[in-house]
Formats: sequence, C-alpha cells, structure tokens
Amino acid sequence: MLYRQVQASAAADWAAFNSTGLYGRLAADRLIVDHVEVALELAAEPDSIAVIRPRMVDVISYPYEWSFSQLKEAALLTLELQSRALDIGMRLKDASAYNIQMDAGRPILIDSLSFEVAADTEPWPAYRQFCEHFLAPLALIAHRDARCGLMLREFIDGIPLDLAARMLPGRTRLNLGLSAHIHLHASAQRRAANEPPPAADAPRRERRISATGQRALLDSLRRTVEGLRWHPSSHWSEYASTTSYSDAATASKGEIVREMLVAVGGRTAWDVGANTGVYSAMAADAGYRVVAWDQDAASVEAHWRRVRGDANPAILPLICDLANPSPAIGWGLQERASFLERGEPDLILALALVHHLAIGNNVPLPGVARLFARMAPRAIVEFVPKEDPMTRRLLAARRDIFESYTIGGFREAFGVPYRILRETSVADSPRTLFLLERR
Amino acid sequence: MPFLAYIDPGSGSMLLQVILAGVLAVPFFFRRVISDGLHRIRGNRGKADEATRDEGGEDATSDR
Repeated sequence: MLYRQVQASAAADWAAFNSTGLYGRLAADRLIVDHVEVALELAAEPDSIAVIRPRMVDVISYPYEWSFSQLKEAALLTLELQSRALDIGMRLKDASAYNIQMDAGRPILIDSLSFEVAADTEPWPAYRQFCEHFLAPLALIAHRDARCGLMLREFIDGIPLDLAARMLPGRTRLNLGLSAHIHLHASAQRRAANEPPPAADAPRRERRISATGQRALLDSLRRTVEGLRWHPSSHWSEYASTTSYSDAATASKGEIVREMLVAVGGRTAWDVGANTGVYSAMAADAGYRVVAWDQDAASVEAHWRRVRGDANPAILPLICDLANPSPAIGWGLQERASFLERGEPDLILALALVHHLAIGNNVPLPGVARLFARMAPRAIVEFVPKEDPMTRRLLAARRDIFESYTIGGFREAFGVPYRILRETSVADSPRTLFLLERR
Repeated sequence: MPFLAYIDPGSGSMLLQVILAGVLAVPFFFRRVISDGLHRIRGNRGKADEATRDEGGEDATSDR
C-alpha cells in the first residue's frame, strides 16, 4: 500500500486538478491510476492538505525493459495528458517515462500529482525531458538499432540529445520532427551551455509563446513520435515457427505444462525466456496474471503487439536478460529497483531456458537453481538434454566442458533448493518437465 | 524517501521551444482551419443524409 501527501504549496494545483474534472475524466478513460482520498492524519508532514492512496499496478517496469511500441505508447499517452491538461488551463509539470507504467495491457500515468495550473502561453518546462526520455530512444531504436533502448539503463534521465544526435544516421536530419526536436535541440543546448552566465542582478527573462504555438509544438511532437516505426525481425521472434520439435512433442509439452499450471493454482506467474509468449498465453488461460520476460527486443515487441491486439490485460511482455538482469540504479541505488526486487510471483515458468543459461552462459546448474528459487516459491522448469538438437546447436562450436549437464545432474542441483513434485517426459522428445517447490 | 519534484527545463531547450512554437504555429493554424472546414462540410453532408433517411423514402429531398 502506498500513501502520498499533497503539500500546502501544491494546494491550488490539487484543487484545480479535481474541480475542473480533469482527474475524473482521466481516471474514467484509464489514463491515470485511480486513487482514494484518505484521512489527513496519515500525512507524514504537518503542512499537508490531502493524503491519497493510489491503486498499485501489478508490477513496476522501467523504460529500459519496454519494447519499442510500449515506449511509443507511453510517449503518446504523455502528449495526450499534456494536451488534455492544456485545454483546462493546466499542464504536466514533467514528462518522465518513469511516471508511466504498463497496467492491464496498456500504459497509464501513475503520478497523480503531476499536474499544475499554468497558462497555455508559458513554455512547457518538460519539453526537454520529453525529448530525452521518449523521442531520443524511440528515434534511435527506429533509425539505428533496437538495442539502443538499453541505453536508458545507463542514462536514468533520458538519452542526452547531443549523444542521440551523434548516433542517429545523417538522413534523420531530413525528417522535420527529428531535425527540430533532436538535432537542432542538441545544437541549441550546446550554444546555451557556451554562453556566459547572466549577471547576478539581471532580471529573469520570462519567455512567452502563443497558445496556438503551444499546441503546434505538441502536435509536432505527436506526429514525430507517430512517424517512428520499427519492424522487428530476429532469429528469436521467429523461433516458435522454426523449432525442430514434432507436432506430437509440442502437443505433449503443452498438455504437461497446462496440468502443472493448474496443479500449482497460483495467481501470478513470471515466464522467463518467454519468447513470443505461447506458454504465457497458456498461463493466462489458466487464470494467472503473467509477466513475460525475454532478452530479445523483437520477440517482446511481437508479443506486446499480439497481447495488445487481443486486448489481453493478463500478460505483460518485458525485456530482460536473465543472465544480466536489470540492476538497481540511480541515487543510492534506490531510485529504480533491480529485477529481483520487483515482487515475488507465485510461480516461474522456465521452458527451454536452462540449456541457454548452463551452456550458452556457462552458469553451473546449482547457480541456475539458486537464482530460480530466489525468484518464486514454485517453478515449472524444462530440462533440455545434450542429445536435443537445440542443445547440440549450442555445443556445435565449442568443447563440451559440461560433464554434469545431465538429467541426474539437474535433479541433484535443483534438489537442493527445491523439492521435485513432478517429473514428466515430453512425448517424442528427449526433454523433461519438472514441477518444483521451494524447500 | 521524500523527493521534491523539479526538473531543469534547460535554457537552450526553452529558447528553441519559443522559436519552434512560433514557426510551427503557422502551418498548424492553417491545417486546423482546413480540417475544421472539411469537417464542417462533411458534417453538413452527414446531417443532410440523415435527414433524407429520417424523412423516409426516395421522394424526400435533401436540399433544405
């Protein structure tokens, strides 16, 4: 549960946010998380004028874990919120991507205290932040490489525009929006940084823009974002359709997984190495709310598009490499939580993953077992032995130093943190599925 | 952790924003005028069609 206090200095903003009906409309359209106002006694400080308890989203995720479309939708939501605020004499005081979360299959603003009263002739103070948090990474993904999205993990306050300008291909200068909001923007920043600081007694310059100009700028940002497209294609996103399993093996595996999901009877599951989400969908059908992690941006993008198309609120695809998951970052390493601090699901699904960790990443099986057991009390894990064509492929170009990578070695390693509840062989395949419960 | 929300708008970003708002306002304004005009024409035609249907049958004229 989370309480937030509204300070006296923001009283006018809070009153306007409520009295204009902006909050009511945004909450009704599910663009902002709803909250209830609770007793003022719960305030942590004396000068508060209200205390609210916002609804919590299931799982907190960060922009460096979003695929292209998730970031793009979050950007468009931010512009929509700013546009609606302008219409009633308010504005968004910041445009942080961290204020947006993925909630029940769509982006939503979680910062209920983001709005302030402002004339629409005042420049938008969050313009720069919007460009750094949203426009720069989206442009880099669309015009350079999807992996540029991971740069947000390094640059917690968005990608510096001078860096984005240098990394983007020269042809992006011909795109009107990118040329203005990134390339020209970076030059304007450089020029301003080289100017001598104003004299101490110099009056502060109040800049003004026209109300039409304000909306024109917002419209230009929206068109620029909408114009950015990325067509994912990778080895992994086509994986499900290019695997070597027989139909019988696929059917058998599905049947076993379904039985195990029902046997666990949990409410939340994390599907790690989810690919494009065949088994995430199975878990969702079995009543789980699923976070589907995969390291491949193209797979996550394909998965999100499908979930979005089906309007399935139970599945949230996110990018994460389990061999190098999101760390805690920011001030005191406390601003953004690490992958392992994002809550504990009832169950993890790790299907066709262990061979990648054990052989692809050289993690000893006991290490894999320990990490899985840290993540959730129960696990459905698939063991893919060396004779499987997929494991043979991993071993094709290297010396086999994995003597303990056998089903016996698996039982021994996973038997330490877990009790093995079930062990079922997949028909027409050398693979085995395990249902495990933490000791 | 109490946290005072505050961002630096950046003086270069502010100046650019003022210039862009001025430049972009012109095409934006005209686009809006044109699209409003188109909406009005389409809107009227839509209403006329509805009126035709409401009055039922092919005899009803829409030149009102």
